[in-house]
Amino acid sequence: MVDWGYTINKPRAIAYDANDHTWENALQEAVPVLRSCIGCGNCTATCTAGNFVPFNIRKLQTLVRRGEYAGLRKELDKCMLCGKCRLVCPRGINTRKMIVTLKRLLAQPVAAGIPVAPGAASTAGQR
Amino acid sequence: MHTSDMNTHFDPFVIPFTLGVIYLFAVVVWRYVKWFAELPEADRRAFRHALFTVRSLKAVREVVEEALLHKSILRVNPLLWYMHLSFALGWFLLIVIGKFETSAYLKEAFNPPHVHVFFRYFYPEEPFRFHRGFNYAFLMDAVLLFILSGVALAWFKRLRASWLGMKKTTKHTRGDRMALAALWVVFPARLLAESATCGIHQTGDFLTHSTGMALAGMVGPDALRMMELPAWWIYSLALGMFFVAMPYSRYMHIFTEVPHIFLRHYGIRGGDKPGSADNFQIQACSRCGVCIDPCQLQSAAAMNDVQSVYFLRDRRYGLLTDPVADNCLMCGRCETRCPVHIDLNRLRLNSRTARAEKAVPLTDDRYAYLRGEDRSEGTGKVGYFAGCMTLLSAPVMTAMQRIFDAAGEEVWWADKAGGVCCGRPLKLSGETDAARRLMDYNKALFEKHGITTLVTSCPICLKVFREDYHLEGIEVIHHSQYFLRLLEAGRLKLKASGATLTYHDPCELGRGLGIYDEPRAVLARLGTLAEPKQTKKHALCCGGSVANFVLNSQQENRIATDAAAVYAATGAETLVTACPQCKSTFRRNSALPVSDLAEAVAAALEVPASAHRIPAAAGRTAAPAAS
Repeated sequence: MVDWGYTINKPRAIAYDANDHTWENALQEAVPVLRSCIGCGNCTATCTAGNFVPFNIRKLQTLVRRGEYAGLRKELDKCMLCGKCRLVCPRGINTRKMIVTLKRLLAQPVAAGIPVAPGAASTAGQR
Repeated sequence: MHTSDMNTHFDPFVIPFTLGVIYLFAVVVWRYVKWFAELPEADRRAFRHALFTVRSLKAVREVVEEALLHKSILRVNPLLWYMHLSFALGWFLLIVIGKFETSAYLKEAFNPPHVHVFFRYFYPEEPFRFHRGFNYAFLMDAVLLFILSGVALAWFKRLRASWLGMKKTTKHTRGDRMALAALWVVFPARLLAESATCGIHQTGDFLTHSTGMALAGMVGPDALRMMELPAWWIYSLALGMFFVAMPYSRYMHIFTEVPHIFLRHYGIRGGDKPGSADNFQIQACSRCGVCIDPCQLQSAAAMNDVQSVYFLRDRRYGLLTDPVADNCLMCGRCETRCPVHIDLNRLRLNSRTARAEKAVPLTDDRYAYLRGEDRSEGTGKVGYFAGCMTLLSAPVMTAMQRIFDAAGEEVWWADKAGGVCCGRPLKLSGETDAARRLMDYNKALFEKHGITTLVTSCPICLKVFREDYHLEGIEVIHHSQYFLRLLEAGRLKLKASGATLTYHDPCELGRGLGIYDEPRAVLARLGTLAEPKQTKKHALCCGGSVANFVLNSQQENRIATDAAAVYAATGAETLVTACPQCKSTFRRNSALPVSDLAEAVAAALEVPASAHRIPAAAGRTAAPAAS
């Protein structure tokens, strides 16, 4: 069966306020239109990489917007940047810019252990 | 004071000029030696091998034609050409004729450069005592007047660029402004200084004699004597200041264009990753601004600081930022106009590579999930690679199927059930090494299935297949070329609809790969072709380029709407393109119906009367009745 990425997540608690939102802010600043994502899943459904491996760009950006960055690098590396998702996005979100921006945020010095966004090294969106 | 028999040729005012010259040549020689030493060994070897070949002669010819005569700018804009010509050729002649004049007069082959630069000061009487059948003073006056006319144009250009046929002219850096200020003063100061000297001694030719006598009449001989030396000081200071500022300004191109032309003729151009050869290209940019007007980001999206001239400026001074490096359609419209033939797209791309290498380290398991995957279908010597964008356009896929069926072609479908991206979009982001993984996957797939011809509908894929895949024994062609072959071989029969069609040259197909004629030859068999105002190598970009990582959808749409209007103005019924990305972008923004070449061809296929037929102008094809 085709995996459309619409599985039901297991119940879990998210410590939203405890998360670091530096990257989220930087991402929102770089791609403001991201706020208009309606989670339709077109991007995931057309994804070239997603055809071969479980990869859900819609879910990924949602996690980042919640301040959850764990495993982001590994996930992003699956993307081929082909741009199909951009063409099918009904909200006109520049998904390729979103992915490239995320990769650059990841390249900034990361504290040991879990990748946590460094406040000082961030280029934008600091509080 | 100077006298006619003075032979030391020295006055303190020559010091600023002399120091400037020494500084300039020290910096220039140091830089060139350093850049050359940093070239890869293969490039240096290529240089040595090419040095004593006919390529050097060709390079010399181009140096004369471009560095001196600026022939490329003449084609773009005659008035702008005159301005640049007057500076380049004028100054060159001033130096050369001045040198001959000095050497002939002093009867010595060698003398320090300041002697001929300030010759009139040291030998004001020359025109009347020295004829020898050759009036150097007249020539020098004529050349000075030539340059001054260019200076006047440059002043006007600063005031109003449109007077010189440019919508936008270049913004400057601090080094530029210093050099420019000095340059604007140099030649008027020379005129003033020579006029003062000629006025005092009642010498000079048509220009300096007239201005000299006019000056003498205005201020009187005593005042003229008092202002003579200060005028020469100003001239020398302006020259010295220009020479010191030059290596840090756009005027570095004056010298750098010469090695740049030689390296180009030797095939040393740099590559996908930044290298020392790039230095010669970057510094060969004169910031003439010819690249600004063709840029659609400027004309349609009101972005005024990302054009090639600014990109090169920022990169030259180490100030390049992501928003500038990323904000380019890489359509190549500026590159075709660049009078210096700088590889603008390649440089833009390899600056992204430099950044991506730092930002995105390549891990061993990158794309490991592709190992062993093969979702291709069918068998045949002809392979078809739709490409990601074509896979999103079902009508194009259907059209291809119908055309293959009509031609009776056995086809191996590389990616019908979902394939791997060709790698070019990733490469355009700068991740060259990661893109190589995708390329290796596809290359292995093509070789495994033993195809001899690879057809693709996507110019983005086509470009990377041809330039980066190094496919041996597999000919890669665009579907437009494939259709033309089928038609010429009589394997396809088309029924012309008589409709008026207009054709959009996709950037990667046209400027990128030089394929302009085949799509037109195919369209000529379908209907009447109406060419838009900007076409072939000057064709507009649709705005949807995968090379741009900055534009939002509104900005893309503005560019596309602008371009679509040019096609609508032809009066055609349908806009045909040959790229799925262009098609998708135009479909959202065009008043005309948009179709891919494959759809237009499939719709015009001579098929049995029972089969379902759609006219070409409808822009879409239905699935064949049989399948």
